[in-house]
Amino acid sequence: MIDELKKEIEGVRQSFLNEITQIQSPEKLAALKERFLSRKKGIVGQQLLKLRDCAAGEKPVAGQLINQLKMFIETELAAIEERIGARRGKQEQWSDCSLPASDLPIGRFHLIAEIQRQIEDLFLSLGYEIAYGPEVEREEYNFTALNIPEFHPARDEQDTFFLDGFDNMVLRTHTSPMQVRYMLAHRPPLKIISPGKAFRKDDPDATHSPCFHQVEGLLVDRGINFSHLKGTLEVFCRSFFGPDVTLRFRPGYFPFTEPSAEVDISCFMCSGRQPDCKVCKGSGWLEILGSGMVHPQVLLNCGIDPETYSGFAFGMGIERVAMIKFGVPDLRLLYENDLRLLGQFG
Amino acid sequence: MKINITYLKKFVAFELEDAALKELLAGIGLEVAESQVIEGQTVFEIEITPNRPDWLSHYGVAREIAAKTGQACFLPLALDGVSLDGGEENFAITIEDATDCWRYSGCIVRDVAVGESDPTVQKLLISFGLRPINNIVDVSNLVMMTCGQPLHIFDLEQLQGEQIRIRRAKKNEKIRLLDEREVALNDDFLLIADASRPLALAGIMGGLESGISPKTRHIFIESACFDPLVIRRASRLLGFKTDASYRFERGMDIEATIPALKMALLLLGQTQPPAYFQDVYPRPLPRTEVPLDKDYPGRLTGINIKPDSSSAILQRLGFQLQDQGSRWQVQVPSHRVDVSCKEDLVEEIIRIHGYDHLQAQMPLSANPFLRIDREREIVQRLKNQLAASGFNEVINYVFQSPEENALYDPQLPPLALNNPLGKDFSVMKNSLLAGMLKNTAFNANQYWERIALFEIGNVFGQHEGKILEEKKLAISAYGLKQKKDWRCREEAFDFSYFKSLLTMLGRLMRLDFAFKKQAHPAYIDTCCFAIEIAGRPCARLGEVAPEFCRYYKLERPVFAAEIDLQALVAAVGEKRFSAMNRFPAVRRDFTFLMSKTVSYEELRSCLERLQPKVLESFELTDVFQGPTVPADKVSFSMGFTYRAQDRTLTGDEVNVIHLKFTEKMVEQMHLIQR
Repeated sequence: MIDELKKEIEGVRQSFLNEITQIQSPEKLAALKERFLSRKKGIVGQQLLKLRDCAAGEKPVAGQLINQLKMFIETELAAIEERIGARRGKQEQWSDCSLPASDLPIGRFHLIAEIQRQIEDLFLSLGYEIAYGPEVEREEYNFTALNIPEFHPARDEQDTFFLDGFDNMVLRTHTSPMQVRYMLAHRPPLKIISPGKAFRKDDPDATHSPCFHQVEGLLVDRGINFSHLKGTLEVFCRSFFGPDVTLRFRPGYFPFTEPSAEVDISCFMCSGRQPDCKVCKGSGWLEILGSGMVHPQVLLNCGIDPETYSGFAFGMGIERVAMIKFGVPDLRLLYENDLRLLGQFG
Repeated sequence: MKINITYLKKFVAFELEDAALKELLAGIGLEVAESQVIEGQTVFEIEITPNRPDWLSHYGVAREIAAKTGQACFLPLALDGVSLDGGEENFAITIEDATDCWRYSGCIVRDVAVGESDPTVQKLLISFGLRPINNIVDVSNLVMMTCGQPLHIFDLEQLQGEQIRIRRAKKNEKIRLLDEREVALNDDFLLIADASRPLALAGIMGGLESGISPKTRHIFIESACFDPLVIRRASRLLGFKTDASYRFERGMDIEATIPALKMALLLLGQTQPPAYFQDVYPRPLPRTEVPLDKDYPGRLTGINIKPDSSSAILQRLGFQLQDQGSRWQVQVPSHRVDVSCKEDLVEEIIRIHGYDHLQAQMPLSANPFLRIDREREIVQRLKNQLAASGFNEVINYVFQSPEENALYDPQLPPLALNNPLGKDFSVMKNSLLAGMLKNTAFNANQYWERIALFEIGNVFGQHEGKILEEKKLAISAYGLKQKKDWRCREEAFDFSYFKSLLTMLGRLMRLDFAFKKQAHPAYIDTCCFAIEIAGRPCARLGEVAPEFCRYYKLERPVFAAEIDLQALVAAVGEKRFSAMNRFPAVRRDFTFLMSKTVSYEELRSCLERLQPKVLESFELTDVFQGPTVPADKVSFSMGFTYRAQDRTLTGDEVNVIHLKFTEKMVEQMHLIQR
């Protein structure tokens, strides 16, 4: 009995496969489905009726065989249905892929913060640590420890904000006090950069702001010399402004470095070839950094022996770097937080 | 400092075009800020750094050019031929405290005729930016601009008691200065006085009474050197500077007083020795001596400088060297008040040798303190997420107006600036919110519909005599979360979005933020929450109070949060692997009505209390109010996920647990099952 059933089922399967290859339209598919799977008259249903005639012991095996057939047919039908059905659906539901995209909101980083991060990343890759410090700073760290005693004329150049009721505190006029804090807490070799806000009592204009950002750098070790400073700044300036940039060191004055140097980079826009260049005003050079060898008195103030160790320090204004690199004409624009400007960078 | 190039050439020979001269000056540290033509002569405005008072004269600049070019530098005046001694008049100069006045040289010249200076002298002074006054005063200015030493010339007949005293002012003394302003004095001021009255503020400005007038017949010329600190302190108290004080507070050449006096006599046309001369120099200053290892210039600069080159440069700059084998004993010339250590000498050598000889070398120093900066990583991660969510970073000043501080919180005592730029910038901000509201208003005026901002910055305050400075991350949202277009409908920012955003930032850090109802003046009472992590507050959020918004003319609600970054960073835990649960989860839903007087928060804490062991999580899937729901009720649909740690839960097992759990819920929260 079972063998007979097997043959019949195989026969049904074959005839189904023959017919299904010829199906092209949904109408014919529906007819085929009806013929095979209709509950009462369907071919598979007819097979099920035969179960009644089976001996009790054979019923489970027979039932399983017929079920397998049913599932096979259902799966095949579903596949075909999806193929022609899907095609039909696409034609019927209207769509136009050339409709404009929606504006999904984008957020930007502030240009100053983004440049600060880039500078941080470059120095991190050179093995420097980042040391952030307080914005309200002890006058001692901001000035005295950096070899700028009270009544020193250099204090005039950094017009300082003082605080009501706190005699020995100032808004830091540069990020250099972090040098002092770090050297007091660590022994050489040490390599840090210290980015952050600094404050000077300047009325805001195109190139001044009472609140601005600086990055300070410091390296102290045995045998550090002025040429190491030049090498380090050259690597930084080339990675930041372009591989063809050259550096010019000029004598400068900072109370906390000796010798000191002002550092210019060659104009990355015109390389000094255009007298009417908007970036360098035709000079070919852009003043970008102040730097020098750490003054032995500063090392002594921080408990480091200047006979054993030497070091270099440098500092730059982030706003200035941003203005030069991206052609921003007025420093005040960077503090307006106009989304139309922020949207151009970051 | 204005340098007349034609006049400069009297002291040093050079044949350079203006551009080449500028380049040469910049190479040795003299930056030309501006070049102009005055009275037909080229004049450079040179920026002089505060360490180089010896550059504040034509001769001083010429000396540098000579050192660079190898040319000789000379004064075209026969100073050696001027004799000062021989006068026999009865007069006395007394320095009361030698620490205030280091040297005072003075002389009396009789029978001078006051009139206009020679036109060439007048032109020269105009080119220096000075106003010609009369032949006597003009000489003192010409001497200062030539060799740097400020002189002061008194009308001798206005001096009482045949004497000059250099002393501190007494309380209640007054002086009327040459510019006619009257100054009340105290003992911070050093005076040039006669027997009874103040004549001049030492090193700053002369008095009106003793000044040169058309009637002046006899003069007393002062050439002195004062303690720079004394002059600087007085100038700061007065709040103004003069050409003289600018020089004295930087430090003048102690050996220049006599040559300057001689120069003045020559320029006044005096051929006879003065009627009186005295040089009071109580404690002669020895010249500074600095030992310098011959190889140190090379070691500190990293370039090969031969000892011969080093010594030649130093000598051209006026340093005297004594060879001591492997090092020199270097004597510093008296005009170089800035040189005191060997690094100063190295700067002199490399400056004249040329900074362009510096090589670029990379230091090999390793950093033993290198570490992953956890705070920076966390902040960066938060920033990235905020930007990805459409929030823009802003940066504001740290100071604002007292009103803005008070709008945030009138209770906090502000940290005020002692010398602010103006009232609008007079206190350190106690919150980042005011700045962000200002930015929001600015951009709303540019017709932005979606203004979503964040800022990282410090806020300040004071408590029991201590300054507080905390790093915050502030976030604000105003206007439309979603603009209407063909596929999206318009959606305004609301509190639930803002709360979701904050919760997302917490989840990003794997932190469980609990929102605790709070009251704060910056936020409206019904919508102000503290965020707590394990019971510790680390942030505040809510809808900004209307009066705060109105201050910036913002009409629509602003949602804002301020996170204490230090507390947040401290709460972020270390990561550690934990095994994933491999058993299947079973989900059951439950829909019920709850009284409107009960908050979801109450329901949530009840669920947490009742939570069966195998309940993994629950979520609110729908909130519904409609005709089928009684007016005093809300319909909630919730999904519950059950999963055991150690086996597969069967459906029947979960049904029993779920039923028991929901029955308890219904009972405790008085719910009505739907």
